[in-house]
Amino acid sequence: MPSTTHYWTDLADLHGNEAVTKARADEFPTQLPGIGEVLGDTNLTGATTGRRDFLKFLGFGIGAATLAACETPVIKSIPYVNKPEDIVPGVANWYASTYFDGSDYASVLVKTREGRPIHIKGNPRFGINTRPAKDDKDATMSRSVVNARINSSVITLYDNQRLKGPVLKNTPATWADADKAVEAELEKAAGGGKRIVVLTNTVISPSTKAAIAKLQAKYPATGADAAAGSRVEHVQHDTISYSGVTNANLKSFGKRVMPSYDFTKADVVVSFGADFLSSWGSTTETNWQYAERRKPGNMSRHWQFEARMSMSGANADVRVMLKPSEVTQSVVALHDAVAQATGGTTVGGAGATDEVKKAAAELVAARGKSIVLCGDNNEGVQVLVNHINAMLGNYGTTIDLANHTSFNQGDDAAMAQLVKDMNSGAVGVLMMSGVNPVYSLTNAAEFKNGLAKCFSVSFSTHADETASLCNAICPDHHWLESWNDFMPKVGRYALAQPTIKNIFNTRQWQESLLQWSGDTTSYYDFIRANWEANMGSRLGGELDFGYAWNMSVHNGVYDAYTNAPEASAFVGDVSAAATAAKAAVKTGEWEVSLYEKEGIGNGLHANNPWLQELPDPISKVTWDNYVCMAPEDLIALTGVSNFRELYIGQESPAHVVKVSVNGTEVELPAIPSPGQAPKSVSIALGYGRGANGEGVGRAAVVFDNETKTLVAIGKNVYPMTAVVGGTVSYSSTGTLAATGGTYPLALSQTQMTAMDRHSIAKETTQREWAEHKATETYNAPHTLGVHEDVNGDGVIDSRDQKPTSDFNLWKDHPVEQVGHRWGMSIDLNSCTGCGACITACTSENNVPVVGKDEVRRSREMHWLRLDRYYSSDMTHAVGKAEGKGKIERFLEMEVPSRNPKVFLMPVMCQHCNHAPCETVCPVAATTHSNEGLNMMAYNRCIGTRYCANNCPYKVRRFNWFNYVTDKFADVNPAWDELGRMVLNPDVVVRSRGVIEKCSLCVQQIQGGKLAAKKEQRPVKDGDIVSACMAACGMGAITFGDLNDKDSNVTKLAADERAYHMLDEIGVKPNINYMAKVRNTEEAAHHA
Amino acid sequence: MHSEAALREPLILGHKTYHDITNDIVGPIENKAPRGWYILTTIAGLIACYGIGCIFYLFSKGIGTWGLNKTVDWAWDITNFVWWVGIGHAGTLISAVLLLFRQKWRMAVNRSAEAMTIFAVIMAATFPLIHMGRLWLAYWVFPLPNQFGSLWVNFNSPLLWDVFAISTYFSVSLVFWYIGLIPDFATIRDRLTKPGWKRAYSILSFGWTGNAKAWTRFEEVSLVLAGVATPLVFSVHSVVSMDFATSVVPGWHTTIFPPYFVSGAVFSGFAMVLTLLLVMRKVMHLEAYITVKHVEYMNIVIIVTGSIVGVAYITELFVSWYSGVEYESYAFINRATGPYWWSYWAMMTCNVISPQLFWVKKWRRNLMFTFVMSLVVNTGMWFERFVIIVTSLHRDYVPSSWTMFHPTWVDAGIFVGTIGIFFTLYLLFARYFPVLALNELKSILKVTGESYKADAAKHQHH
Repeated sequence: MPSTTHYWTDLADLHGNEAVTKARADEFPTQLPGIGEVLGDTNLTGATTGRRDFLKFLGFGIGAATLAACETPVIKSIPYVNKPEDIVPGVANWYASTYFDGSDYASVLVKTREGRPIHIKGNPRFGINTRPAKDDKDATMSRSVVNARINSSVITLYDNQRLKGPVLKNTPATWADADKAVEAELEKAAGGGKRIVVLTNTVISPSTKAAIAKLQAKYPATGADAAAGSRVEHVQHDTISYSGVTNANLKSFGKRVMPSYDFTKADVVVSFGADFLSSWGSTTETNWQYAERRKPGNMSRHWQFEARMSMSGANADVRVMLKPSEVTQSVVALHDAVAQATGGTTVGGAGATDEVKKAAAELVAARGKSIVLCGDNNEGVQVLVNHINAMLGNYGTTIDLANHTSFNQGDDAAMAQLVKDMNSGAVGVLMMSGVNPVYSLTNAAEFKNGLAKCFSVSFSTHADETASLCNAICPDHHWLESWNDFMPKVGRYALAQPTIKNIFNTRQWQESLLQWSGDTTSYYDFIRANWEANMGSRLGGELDFGYAWNMSVHNGVYDAYTNAPEASAFVGDVSAAATAAKAAVKTGEWEVSLYEKEGIGNGLHANNPWLQELPDPISKVTWDNYVCMAPEDLIALTGVSNFRELYIGQESPAHVVKVSVNGTEVELPAIPSPGQAPKSVSIALGYGRGANGEGVGRAAVVFDNETKTLVAIGKNVYPMTAVVGGTVSYSSTGTLAATGGTYPLALSQTQMTAMDRHSIAKETTQREWAEHKATETYNAPHTLGVHEDVNGDGVIDSRDQKPTSDFNLWKDHPVEQVGHRWGMSIDLNSCTGCGACITACTSENNVPVVGKDEVRRSREMHWLRLDRYYSSDMTHAVGKAEGKGKIERFLEMEVPSRNPKVFLMPVMCQHCNHAPCETVCPVAATTHSNEGLNMMAYNRCIGTRYCANNCPYKVRRFNWFNYVTDKFADVNPAWDELGRMVLNPDVVVRSRGVIEKCSLCVQQIQGGKLAAKKEQRPVKDGDIVSACMAACGMGAITFGDLNDKDSNVTKLAADERAYHMLDEIGVKPNINYMAKVRNTEEAAHHA
Repeated sequence: MHSEAALREPLILGHKTYHDITNDIVGPIENKAPRGWYILTTIAGLIACYGIGCIFYLFSKGIGTWGLNKTVDWAWDITNFVWWVGIGHAGTLISAVLLLFRQKWRMAVNRSAEAMTIFAVIMAATFPLIHMGRLWLAYWVFPLPNQFGSLWVNFNSPLLWDVFAISTYFSVSLVFWYIGLIPDFATIRDRLTKPGWKRAYSILSFGWTGNAKAWTRFEEVSLVLAGVATPLVFSVHSVVSMDFATSVVPGWHTTIFPPYFVSGAVFSGFAMVLTLLLVMRKVMHLEAYITVKHVEYMNIVIIVTGSIVGVAYITELFVSWYSGVEYESYAFINRATGPYWWSYWAMMTCNVISPQLFWVKKWRRNLMFTFVMSLVVNTGMWFERFVIIVTSLHRDYVPSSWTMFHPTWVDAGIFVGTIGIFFTLYLLFARYFPVLALNELKSILKVTGESYKADAAKHQHH
């Protein structure tokens, strides 16, 4: 019998405390239930909800939740009540027009969207800036030069600092009041026997001249002045004077004009300091002509003798560094060398250098097929240059005086006289259009004095340096709001038409003149009547005028006639010229030359943010001006130990120097400029606009963090010009000293050389190219050693190499020969580096302007950049030969040569078929299209920037801030309410925190495909043109379908010169480059 | 109960009883905190607040408030990220790997090392989040169903692997740490008398009863988690290293990265453990539990991992030369001789040369020396990440895009801020959590306690 005695162990046991009993039962672990036990739980089968019901509930629940998340997007749009006939929302209208600002001229097409002009490109069929197409196929690959200054001018239309109506004595007025005031003054001046002067930049508009004539007719001269014909005098003044050139032509050939040059016929081009690719002469015409002759096989030879590395110098085959004074001496020496060879008169030019002798020999060998240019504004030098060209028989072949241009009519003598007259009180009323003498005149102070002594009227669009001192400002329309006509060359006419109604209460200045002449017709009617009256016979022909007029408006041009070329006889006095030329030469310790920059030009464009942000093609500096100095000079001046210490970067500011010329002192940062002639410095004109707070446009001034004020960008160096021998001289002597201070500069590229990396920058010589052994010489593919007997010699050794293109780690995207594969070819021989593609891309793709401070931090947003590499004396080959170690070699490679060769290369997204950016994005925001494009879905981007790190070409740009707001409203006038109108509605404005990059203008691709689809045909080559390609008048950029066998881009891709940048890393780009060919004698070296 | 060789140094010094251990560890939680704690916490808290302020400033303005640029798109952000992740390696290594290897000395250090891991991983995770241009869309990195149709994350991207690796590591580490804390919380709960606090620790201890069943399960779970966590110790930094290794950037594109990064991580993690423990040991009077022997063990780990790192550096240099790739070769020459040479040589000195000093027994048993070295190693490891990230990016393929990186005050503020947050969290941990795994320590008291060992030795003699 079991014992009933209970032995309790503790009190809880005795009293039967349940919690403790339970805890005791749980004290020791039991076996965990097996899986079979869990599944075999009978409770599960007893559940009231069956498995199928459960799935139904689950399905319904998810479905309902999903549906609840859907919402039809509401898109609000307001339709036109009365739709304008020609406007289809979403479809761009293009209008032919003409740009002329006194120095740059181009026939253009203006893109408007819903009535807003948003983009400018060259007129692909007409105009002197357009290469005539040889056939229809050729015409599809249109070539029309529009430089950065011209295509960027669209943004100034939306500049909020433009005058919004007439101003009388610095207070806003009505047009009626303004007219009354001016007319009263005109009457007063006429009555008082004083002169009325219309001071303009070069007027190439026949109708404008007719309008001035109207005013002249209204106020005929009386009394003693009767001989002059009128009280009203028209004085033309160019901001940058070409008086020396035109005067020389007058003396040499009896015509005070700028001739037309034809670089397509020039086998040899010798330029003495004339930067004919950027600023000198009719550049929009010169550029395409020059590029036409830079194709290997038919290459011109280009000599450049100059002080500063100009764009022309960067493109030259032989560049000789000379100080400005030596440039003149070389012209004289060349003159005599040519004279000796051709039997002409010599002028005692001694000491011809080897380069001059060689250039002379080449010129003489290319008689009648050469051009000699000189950028000096001295009459004597120019007469000598004319004589050289005459001796070479270039007149009538490459230089045409019969069909001369109408540009550069300004006359320094007339301007000097005007300033005197103003000061003497002989001028009653002064009206000014297109000039800003208070800013840009050599004797601006005298002009300012004179201005106070007469009633002054400015037609300026801004209250600029001159206009703000005028009694009245009658603001002109922006050129995109204007009608005008032009005669750029003898027999060639062009029209500008408004592409938008005037935004502000402005009036075309010609219309103001007509008004004050008592003519109330509109300027449009006036031009039309003028054409009908004066050109009717030529325009009309067998057609009626109305039709011809409409065609002219439609095309933008009317080419009336061309004179037969004439071999003008040289009648100048060369010995007098030589004397004058030599007399003008000044030598001193430091020679200073002044020049115009590609972006800002003569200062007219200082208020254009796109141009301020456009890096200078050579120096890569943005938003500033500076002193270009030879690195060796700068090293000596600052006392640094080597070139690398002159590095300018975010926290490495430039050294400040003080330059004094003609009593004008400026302090500016100095940059090391390889190729600058030692003991010479160069400073850009066109800066220091709005230094006294004048409203010249927001982008001309920058917020200074130290003084908390707006200060002008750069310094005005026009006061450093001097009148020498009756014309303005842009080079002089002066003194230079380091101030010890520093100044931050914003460079878009801080490294100078390509570090001997041949798969980036490939180049060769014309001679080597002509051997057509590209793959063995300059375009050798990168190979890798493999462990297999590639060459079949039975041995596996280091000679067994396979090209890297044979290796492939990745599955190919199915884009080869399927549908489209968009690609691009960039011919480095045709690219002159002008940067028009960059501003065109900015305009087309709404690329934000970020300002100096951000560029200094290497954060410029340009989708397309222009890489500039200087050659270095050090290469791996040279270093190995000299027994130098790698470390030493690399350090020396960072240092450019003293007079380096320049390699210019536009770089944008390479649209790799094996894009490194695509694999690393965690959210697949960047992907590959089935047409070969590397696409960017901004909406999906979360901004890890991994893609940008992994991009070997470093073309991806990150939105570091919201560029549409706060601090960027300051630097970026494009994004205020008005400025926003310039945005392209086809391209989204990117938000803060996303990556962006070149899309190959995917909006154009889609548009082109849509247009072809509507016409039920395949896309043709040339249907789709990216903005950069359209902007490149030199034809360096070709876009197209690489799957189309007949497309231009496919043919170029198969060319022996074609290469992929960084080919060996196997990313398979859809963009290829055509290796640069230089027309030099020495053989190119390859690693 | 197994016994230990008398030759082995005892891991618990002096004569301690179970009760002494409880008192030593729980005492500081029950008593009023010393003034020093308040001072330190205030300082750390202020730095943390400054860092958080900087982070908010970053949010309000954009990533541009950092010094990054078009060429160097990652710099301090990812440097700090990798640095913190690396530091976060020691805890789990100590608790998981050493558990599997039955290293008893881990018991004195694992708790605080794990806490450090958790906090370091939190700091690390901050950077990938705040470095995003559009932080508010950060959840897009998870493969979640979405309203965009069939839009999925990119499984090719190492950044995505990072997300998985870090989040897994963090979750497992947190669970592991917390499981270990449960019995200790229960001990605190049982001792506390203030109802509020008692309630709080009662919740934290998950109703731990301390019966044999609970202990068995505790040990089973610990073992399972150790098994899960061990591969994670190696996978996390391997995956982090693939952010670099799978790219095309010269200097990043290196197959050696995964083991090299893991060693580096353990290296820096142990250094940080030492930094913290050496201070805590002194302040909280834990000399009996964290002995010189413990420090020496950890210093040995530092010698081993530091040497692996050194070999990796030299291998990289060799390969850059041997590969014959001009970009690769330049990347390494530029590291050593380019504009950031100082960071490279700081890294080399701190990481390669300095740990070798621990070969000297006297030095590796010197606490002050160890403390200084632990700071040197962590400085060196920060520079290592800086060197890899910035000097590789700032001069890669295309010289036109070469530039420099200059940090801003926001870069510095956030980095210093994370140190502040880290120390704030750590100080709170030291105040309110049992800093040593007291219950686990008790399990080895009789085996490696100094007096017990002495007793055992005495008995053997008899």
